[in-house]
Amino acid sequence: MLNRVTNLTMSAAAQRTLQAQQSKLAQLQEKATTLDKISRPSDDPAATAQALDTRARLAATAQYGRNIDDGNSWLTAADSALEQATNVMQKIKDLTVQAGNGSLPQSGKDAIANELTALNQDLVSIGNSQHLGRNIFAGSSDAAGAFTPGTPRDPSIPADTGTPPSFAGVANTSVERRISATESVRVDADGAAIFGSGAGSVFDIVSQMAADLRTGKDISPRLAAVDTAFKNIVNGRSEIGTRQSQLERAGSVNTELEASLDAQKTGIEKADLGSVIMDLKLQETNYQVALAATARVLQPTLMDFLR
Amino acid sequence: MSTFGALNTAYRGLTAAQQGMNVAGQNIANAATEGYTRQRVEQSSLAAPARGLFSGGALQVGQGVSVDAIARLGNSFLDGGVRSAGAQAGYAGVRSSALQGIEGVLQEPGDNGISTALQDFWSAWQAAANQPSEDGPKGLLLNAANSLTDKISSAYQGLDAQWSRTRAQASDNVDAVNAAAAQVAAYNTTIRSTLAAGGSANELIDARAKLTDKIASLAGGTVREQPDGTVDVLVGGNALVTGGSVRTLALSGSSSDRMGAPVQLEWTDRSGLAIPVDGGEIAGALSVLAPGATPPSTPGSGGAIAEAAEKFNNFAVDLATAVNRVHQKGQLPDDALGNPGAVGQDFYTMNGSGPAALRIKAPADAAGIALKLPGKGALDTSVSDEISQLGTGPGSPDKAWSGIVTSIGVQSRGAQQREDLTSAAQASALTGRASQASVSLDEENVSLLANQHAYQAAARVMTAVDEALDVLINRTGLVGR
Repeated sequence: MLNRVTNLTMSAAAQRTLQAQQSKLAQLQEKATTLDKISRPSDDPAATAQALDTRARLAATAQYGRNIDDGNSWLTAADSALEQATNVMQKIKDLTVQAGNGSLPQSGKDAIANELTALNQDLVSIGNSQHLGRNIFAGSSDAAGAFTPGTPRDPSIPADTGTPPSFAGVANTSVERRISATESVRVDADGAAIFGSGAGSVFDIVSQMAADLRTGKDISPRLAAVDTAFKNIVNGRSEIGTRQSQLERAGSVNTELEASLDAQKTGIEKADLGSVIMDLKLQETNYQVALAATARVLQPTLMDFLR
Repeated sequence: MSTFGALNTAYRGLTAAQQGMNVAGQNIANAATEGYTRQRVEQSSLAAPARGLFSGGALQVGQGVSVDAIARLGNSFLDGGVRSAGAQAGYAGVRSSALQGIEGVLQEPGDNGISTALQDFWSAWQAAANQPSEDGPKGLLLNAANSLTDKISSAYQGLDAQWSRTRAQASDNVDAVNAAAAQVAAYNTTIRSTLAAGGSANELIDARAKLTDKIASLAGGTVREQPDGTVDVLVGGNALVTGGSVRTLALSGSSSDRMGAPVQLEWTDRSGLAIPVDGGEIAGALSVLAPGATPPSTPGSGGAIAEAAEKFNNFAVDLATAVNRVHQKGQLPDDALGNPGAVGQDFYTMNGSGPAALRIKAPADAAGIALKLPGKGALDTSVSDEISQLGTGPGSPDKAWSGIVTSIGVQSRGAQQREDLTSAAQASALTGRASQASVSLDEENVSLLANQHAYQAAARVMTAVDEALDVLINRTGLVGR
């Protein structure tokens, strides 16, 4: 059938065209103001799935970042505690060597013994150090301190050593921070391994030495035990250093990952400003052309040419 | 031919031209009237009278023009095309807007969606693990857990409200169809009697065509024209309107029905039997209102809203199962008296009956959160760490949610494309009909001009005959006077 064109079909077609152009213009305007490529899942279902996945990974990465920061503060606290412990042990070792000098009078030995007892108390308080209200060396225990206070020596009996502090934490447990989907890092230190517990612990050795000095015994045989205890503390500290560098690496990997995920998210969800502006300008021109053409087309009828 | 025959012929010409101008005037007046179909004067030349016994002599010319009818230049084929395209567009339009409504409930991708709440929830478990002795992070964890369940249940309620709205709209549409059907029957009666009396019912037919278009866009169906000028409207193969008689439609169930209740279109006098509607907005609404898929393993066989709601229920169950499976391994914190906490407790509980999406509840306080494994230290966080990693696996709630979002997005996209397609088809059907039936001002101007000239010429014929008769009557026999 030959298509008959009438004023009604022309104006309806013009209306439809204008409406279509205008709705395209509105879409592009919305896109240009929000720069959102996907404003609802049906805009691009596949990209929506990707966007959800990227957002989930981004949120997880942000949490890993917070965990890493938290873990770092733990390890720093543990490291500084063990640094103090190393200093104290250094002094103890010096005193031990000094006390081995055979020409030292008993009064000097007593003085060294008193200093050793004081240093021992320092060690215990270092073993009980806390970070944010939690024991650093007690694993997952919620005990008041990582080590029990023990019983102090009876000053009236020179040979008395009292009961050495023993480990109050939960053995073989650790405080861990998750640094990635597959990896957790231990951020505390094992108090039992570093300081020992009860008999044989570093506290025990030092108080034994103090007692030996008070009773005038030769303490040089205990030097080996002091060295072992010293080594345990240094080992604990170096282990913490290793984990600190592990956390640092994880932190930089995490930051990079976050940046790349952010870029990925932007790529999936956000439109390119330049191309959107170009599209918008083009569409504006299209709309104006449609308006002008409509105004031209709808004006004349035969009546304009009849007298 | 009689002496005055030519006068009569001229008179017929005058009236025909006048009628032509009248019709052109009517067309021009209605150039912008919606649903108006252009009209045209149907005229034919009148033959000369038969030669009789005494007519003898000269040949006789015809007796002028006769106005036979005022024809309505509609085309029932194009009308049918508009109706069926309207039915398809109505169906696709309702489905598309319903699915876009479901999509709106998801609020994805964005910061208010369930995916963000899920990520906050997993992160909150890690934050709680970082400070197991503090109450603050546990409070934040409870907050995240509640916000997740709130989002699930409010989305479910959103779907429920959408279902009720769609049903109310379908019910309004059924009422509109009934009203339109009653009007069609009334027009049928008037048109039949007008035509029987020999009148012109063109404008009535236009009005009736508008009503049948409306019925088609709402309820699909077909229209059959009858020889007496009436139309029968059939919905689902049965007559809604026959001549002057009309049947009424109704939706089954009541307006207080909630999501999941069966809804079908029925004849008021045959309740219980579903009408197989083949198109129109009502059919679109019924298709999204249908109960969920049966069996549940065949998604797509049920109504879109109920199926989406079912997905929320399944998601709530999956989430609760995944979290509880790990949480049950853990031990709740010791109570104030130092008694050891219970083992094997659920994190998310689902008590009572009703949809899972509304029943899922997080613990009331921090005493219901198990961070540690039994037998480990009081500040152990193995359980919370394991729960925080539930979001990453292949069968994780995150993946399930992403699957729900994608499948609804794909469905909605399909429905929108179908809507675009059917509305383009509708526009083309409407253009096709308008190009046949609408008034062209140029044409009408030409016809006006032609009729005006015809009128002037007919008047001239009359003058000529009159002058000839004047000569004959007044001047004859005056020779030589």
